[in-house]
Amino acid sequence: MGILLFISVLLVAACGLIYELVAGTLASYLLGDSVLQFSTVIGTYLFAMGLGSAMSRYLNRGLVYRFIWIELLLGVIGGFSSALLMLAFAFTQGFELILYALVIVMGVLVGLEIPLLMRIVRDRYDFRDVIAHVLTFDYLGALAASLLFPILLVPRLGLVRSAMLFGLINVAVAVWSTFLFAKQLPTARSLRVTSVVVLCALSVGMAEAKKITATAEDNIYADEIIFARDSRYQHLVLTRFKDDLRLFLNSHLQFSSRDEYRYHEALIHPGLASVPVARRVLVLGGGDGLAVREVLKYPQIESITLVDLDPEMTRLFSTHAMLTQLNQKSLLSPKLHVTNADAFPWVDTSTESFDFIVIDFPDPTNYSLGKLYTTAFYRAVARHLSAQGVMVVQSTSPMFARDSFWCIAATLKQVGLHTYPYHVYVPSFGEWGFVLASSHEYTPPTSLPAGLRFLNVEGLPAMFQFPPDMAPLSIPPNQLNDQVLVRLYDQDWKDISH
Amino acid sequence: MKVDRRKFLGLGSAALVGLSLKGERAIAGSFVNESFQAGHLLRDRAGFPAPKRIEKVPVVIVGGGIAGLSAAWRMRKRGFTDFVLLEMNDAAGGNARWGENEITAYPWAAHYIPVPGPKTVYARELFEDLGVLKDGQWEERYLCFSPQEKLFLYGRWQEGIEPAVGLKPRDREQFQRLEDIFAKYRNSGEFTIPLEVGRSHRTADLDRVSFSDWLRRENFDSPLLHWYMNYACRDDYGAMATDTSAWAGIHYFSSREAEEKGPLTWPEGNGWITRRLLERVGDNIRINQMVHRVAIGPRGVTVEAGNTQFQAEFAIFAAPTFLAPYVVENFGPLHDFAYSPWLTANLSLDRLPDARGAEPSWDTVFLDSPTLGYVDATHQSVRSHIDKTVWTCYWALTGGDSKQNRRLRLEKDWAYWWEAILNDLERVHFDIRQCVSRIDIMRMGHAMVRPTPGSMFSAERQRLSSKKDRLLFANSDLSGISIFEEAQYQGVKAAEKVLERIAGRK
Repeated sequence: MGILLFISVLLVAACGLIYELVAGTLASYLLGDSVLQFSTVIGTYLFAMGLGSAMSRYLNRGLVYRFIWIELLLGVIGGFSSALLMLAFAFTQGFELILYALVIVMGVLVGLEIPLLMRIVRDRYDFRDVIAHVLTFDYLGALAASLLFPILLVPRLGLVRSAMLFGLINVAVAVWSTFLFAKQLPTARSLRVTSVVVLCALSVGMAEAKKITATAEDNIYADEIIFARDSRYQHLVLTRFKDDLRLFLNSHLQFSSRDEYRYHEALIHPGLASVPVARRVLVLGGGDGLAVREVLKYPQIESITLVDLDPEMTRLFSTHAMLTQLNQKSLLSPKLHVTNADAFPWVDTSTESFDFIVIDFPDPTNYSLGKLYTTAFYRAVARHLSAQGVMVVQSTSPMFARDSFWCIAATLKQVGLHTYPYHVYVPSFGEWGFVLASSHEYTPPTSLPAGLRFLNVEGLPAMFQFPPDMAPLSIPPNQLNDQVLVRLYDQDWKDISH
Repeated sequence: MKVDRRKFLGLGSAALVGLSLKGERAIAGSFVNESFQAGHLLRDRAGFPAPKRIEKVPVVIVGGGIAGLSAAWRMRKRGFTDFVLLEMNDAAGGNARWGENEITAYPWAAHYIPVPGPKTVYARELFEDLGVLKDGQWEERYLCFSPQEKLFLYGRWQEGIEPAVGLKPRDREQFQRLEDIFAKYRNSGEFTIPLEVGRSHRTADLDRVSFSDWLRRENFDSPLLHWYMNYACRDDYGAMATDTSAWAGIHYFSSREAEEKGPLTWPEGNGWITRRLLERVGDNIRINQMVHRVAIGPRGVTVEAGNTQFQAEFAIFAAPTFLAPYVVENFGPLHDFAYSPWLTANLSLDRLPDARGAEPSWDTVFLDSPTLGYVDATHQSVRSHIDKTVWTCYWALTGGDSKQNRRLRLEKDWAYWWEAILNDLERVHFDIRQCVSRIDIMRMGHAMVRPTPGSMFSAERQRLSSKKDRLLFANSDLSGISIFEEAQYQGVKAAEKVLERIAGRK
């Protein structure tokens, strides 16, 4: 009996510490400033424990019954605390309020535990022994929890499931206590039934934890989310604030409807308007149809091939009313052929030739995307250029990722193309860059389609000028076997954010 | 009453476990490409039936590994097509065999070749022939994609396999000092590929000690450095540094000077080269033909396989040389040919397991793992989105006695090995069991020749490789190390000798 009892103390102490650590960690994750968050969470928690201890003197009868109820309550509140906090952050404005309310409730309950336990067992042992043993195991439990938390729990289970696991332990202690103190309990049945219910709830929570986390994380965007979906390839989120529609792929901003015209006019017209009689166009990436919208401003275009990996993306942009309004139903054009395929193998196997090729991929944030910015890829693409053909490549920011921008230019040059880098200002992105490439000399067009909101012929030459802070750098080309670009890009953005 | 309580708690916890853990999924697979049953018939000198038919052919090549295929490639390239190549298995390729499933092609053994330097003439010629080397430029798609190698140590990843984190100043000093010694040997020009081109007796002393003894003699005691040197020996020779000649250990590091970031590799590993060679010489190959007798006569060589006796003018023995005493009449025992037992496993993954934040790389190694790590077969794919793949795990059974290891390898069943492999992978990829749908395992008792101390300058070896009679030897084990370039060199060299003598007689 003795050792079992003290193991309960150890477990109870561990649970208490885990809830405190979970709250502190989550607050630091979500609010930043970890020193402040940890200090205030721990301080509040300890203070609440003091409150609990003080309140324990008002509990006089049915100590065992009350102790077990406290364990069950802690199991539920503590167990779900992490999930609750995540959802609170994602869906409500009152994260801090909920955080400190939870911390106080949990602190009070934890503060009640040890005084009650000591009083329950005081008749069985010498007072000296009770104090010594209970406190010893209390501190041992705290040590175990504080070591388990960073080493095993957070990396293996994550915050949501760690809290739930310890919720289960609280409930287990409750169940256990119904047997341990059976003599001091008038009736154990209702307690045991409640325990099983809580046990089931927490177990389901453990199994579904991933969904809870995902639901919460999906919602950590600044604006109202009007569409969110996990496709096989990426996580698509569409947000809206007044008239501003924003698309995020894997949390990276793809466009803002307020200024995307600047980006897409700059992507298409300097190149396409310079091709004397363009008939066939290829767009790689760009499943949003915004580049295609610009291409359709040339009536002589006979066919456009759009290759985008994600069918979910092209479906969304050909059906969603707000989005088809934005791309002017470009994806429904009879001139357009949509192919949902991985771009590199598609380019390798296709035999078609094109007068204008648009390469509009996400930035090279990893080695998989980096393959689409290599000499091998550009060589394969260049084979599809007709004699008069021109290609344009979205090339990151020459301002924020200057090395990356010039690396892409160097890579295109390496495969024997003439390159013509240029840049424009897109408010939601900042200074943004593109590289035109072709096997012949390029001269900026002398006329542009009617109805453009941003580009005009007079403004074109200036786009090809780079001020000193964006001036060319000598960078080696990006190759499949030596992807310097991914490392440069990573470094460029680190330099900006630190 | 007590029992009831326990039961209650027991049931409760069982229910909990059941709810929180996913059921273990079934994993399919088996041992594949077994050839030891047939091979052991030779060892046990089983009686083979007398030949029923006679076939006359000027040249017979025994063995369809890289050495035999290279001899065949050379002969056909020189316009000589009047030969047969006899392969004991149902497919040629030897250590450059490959497999293929609905996910990808994958290697069964050798899976890369360091970018050959200017002295590796024959291999460069082959690569020009195969379109890998064009106008002095290596084809980008055949060079290993970024990121190449990563090592898991102290709970984190680093790029490259040479330990770079957690080094004490002493470790750092020793890695640098050793690199300087390797550079000195590199510049001496005596450590080359092929070995024969540069090897001289000036460095023969290095062959008399083991690599680990040599390292200690040179005052290298850093545990990380020893781990890395052992890893290199296990990876290239299937042996620990204690069982490796110091000369061979140094050769690994001093024979290569990269002119391009490599190595050369393909989804199916060196099987890609086998495929290309088969396109060129496939017509001359007879599969399922285990040669059980070779006899050298005054006017020719007879080679018996199955129910056929081939009567040839010349034969090239490109199979592992250790088979010669069991097959070639009056051959006598061999003393300087030891071999390392290996195991490779191909794991089909339905989804990519958690990798603790690392992007997939070509080669992944865990510090202090008994295995050599794994290679990702889809790494050389140009696709941007990859959600299924095949991992090839390599395991050289190095510690202790090779004979015992070979026995262990045959005694233990398939489940023993896949459990061992999954246990190892699980240390880093905790959800690996939820991702694997199939594990096939190939056991090779004599996978590669072991460059034991004394074997690099062995007189027996030199006698066999300079033989001038009608039976020429061509396996890479004649070089003392089992690498593609040596196999190809030995095969081409033997073909050249044969062609020269045939031409001389006409």
